[in-house]
Amino acid sequence: MRIHSSINLFCICCVAALAIGCSGKKNAEPAPAHVEQPAVSYFKVDPATAATITGTIRYTGKKPARKLIDMSEDPACVEAHHGKAYDESLVVGSKGALANAFVYIKKGLEGKTFAVPATPVVIDQRGCWFRPRIVGIQTGQVLQVVNSDPVTHNIHPMAEINREWNHSQGPGDPPMTRKFLKPEIMIPVKCNIHSWMHAYIGVVDNPYFAVSSDDGTFAIKNLPPGTYTIGVWQEKLGTQEQQLTVAPHQDAVADFTFKGK
Amino acid sequence: MLENGKSGAESTASFISILFRIRAKNRYAAPVGTVLMIGLLALCNGCKSPGSDKPIGSVVQIKVPLGLPPVPIPADNPPTVETIALGRRLFYDTRLSKDNSLSCASCHNPEYDFTDGMSVSKGMGGQKGVRNAPTVMNAAYLPFQFWDGRAISLEQQAGSPMANPVEMDQTHDVSVSKLEADPEYRALFVKAFGPGSITISKIEKSLASFERTVLSGNSAFDRYEFGGDQKALTPSQIRGLAIFKDPHRGNCAACHTINKNYALFTDGKFHNIGEGVGDDGTFSDVGRYHETRVVTDTGAFMTPTLRNIANTAPYMHDGKVKTLKAVVDFYAGGGNSNPYLDKEIRAIKLTGQDRSDLVEFLKSLTGEMPPNVGPPAKE
Repeated sequence: MRIHSSINLFCICCVAALAIGCSGKKNAEPAPAHVEQPAVSYFKVDPATAATITGTIRYTGKKPARKLIDMSEDPACVEAHHGKAYDESLVVGSKGALANAFVYIKKGLEGKTFAVPATPVVIDQRGCWFRPRIVGIQTGQVLQVVNSDPVTHNIHPMAEINREWNHSQGPGDPPMTRKFLKPEIMIPVKCNIHSWMHAYIGVVDNPYFAVSSDDGTFAIKNLPPGTYTIGVWQEKLGTQEQQLTVAPHQDAVADFTFKGK
Repeated sequence: MLENGKSGAESTASFISILFRIRAKNRYAAPVGTVLMIGLLALCNGCKSPGSDKPIGSVVQIKVPLGLPPVPIPADNPPTVETIALGRRLFYDTRLSKDNSLSCASCHNPEYDFTDGMSVSKGMGGQKGVRNAPTVMNAAYLPFQFWDGRAISLEQQAGSPMANPVEMDQTHDVSVSKLEADPEYRALFVKAFGPGSITISKIEKSLASFERTVLSGNSAFDRYEFGGDQKALTPSQIRGLAIFKDPHRGNCAACHTINKNYALFTDGKFHNIGEGVGDDGTFSDVGRYHETRVVTDTGAFMTPTLRNIANTAPYMHDGKVKTLKAVVDFYAGGGNSNPYLDKEIRAIKLTGQDRSDLVEFLKSLTGEMPPNVGPPAKE
């Protein structure tokens, strides 16, 4: 009797295992088909209604004195930099033009998925300096890190939302490529070897971002009409935002002013 | 002579293979044992038996230079005058390779302090390997051989590159028969091991015994650290040594060990420093994991000695780091992040002066080349 019941139990177990096995297989089956289907349909901007946002970012305080960077810890860097290196964390041009501010669409594009550009974003380590200092990249877009210097660098994006990593790159080493998968404003980047080297990476899930140029201007083009929150970030001055409704085909303007001390 | 030797060896080999074929076919048949016995007797009459592979000559106490501990010696292979000399001869003999173009010394060249000066070594027909040739110097002290530790003795290591298709690319049987064809070698092996034919085990043991004499010590560092010579190091090197030892600064000695009475500059263990990690975070060369299949060993390689390091560029298991400054910078930067990074690897705050002091210190680890380790004189 006991033997009988244990045989029964064994059979039940087998059937159950079989059933689980089957259902597990069934669950697994649709997966490859899923991959073949285009997982997402990318949003396409209608050229007939595409708008532009331009603007100027200004700084009203006293123009900060230029601070000299001391690279003497690595004589090869002094040589590679060709001339004096100045701190670029707050660069103010004529009429308070603020360079190196990151401008992006913070709200208003929810639900839209954008194709990832095939061209990589490049950060070059040249003259013991990150070039450019402020860089925007789309989620999933390739970041290419180049070392043009005769010294070893160790690039270290101190990401909090994305994965933090650091990687050594010796003189003559081939470029390395990385991706950031989640939006993150902003990822501070340092060189683990040269304390003065800093950069910032803005990761956004759309192509609508810009870095203000030396004259403080920026342009975000090919934008679908809509109501947006535009965010601005500057490494020393913090963040600002502005709401703006952009009509079809409009050349909208959004200026920002940071008050200095 | 060589032709005769070859054909002799070939006929012996085919005879053995016939025997084994008979044996395999009639594995459970009673008469096979008898047939086998007769066959073996015939074999012994027809040619020499291998004999013992225990050295018979006069045992040598290997002299150790300042800064090194006694050389560990396996019980079954005490170094003798004869095996050391034979091993030296074998080490430089290109007949141990398929087309007689490569010897052990091709990649472990005394002119490059027993390395080859290349990122990765070139084997038969110029084929590139995947790893940087480690120095033979002080390999006698290592608990493991090869970057991934796949051999646990010099004896075990010695046979591997000979037969590796991307290295010397010659089967052990062929190596043995090529040496057997040389009466001089036959005599040297008999002198070293007693009567019997040449075997791969005897070749490996001789090579290992020779390698146990390839020692590097009595460097400027040794004279300073263990010899009491305060002037042996420059002020920069003394500062570099302090940074090297200090767990809160260089932390180098955590793996590149310095003991109280000697220094091997390796803990003989496997560490992941991130070298070789790809853009996708994986290792094309998994290193120690290949041997252990322990996930945390992924990308871990054995700590190399730092002795004579100034003469053995380029560096790391893949030879990708070209200069000592780049090595120091690599560690100062905290290596390359990856899931298996060793806990001792982290970004270190080192000034430019600290880094150049470390490089200067590393230059003080070049020891004296021991006598009688170069190519044997041709008689």
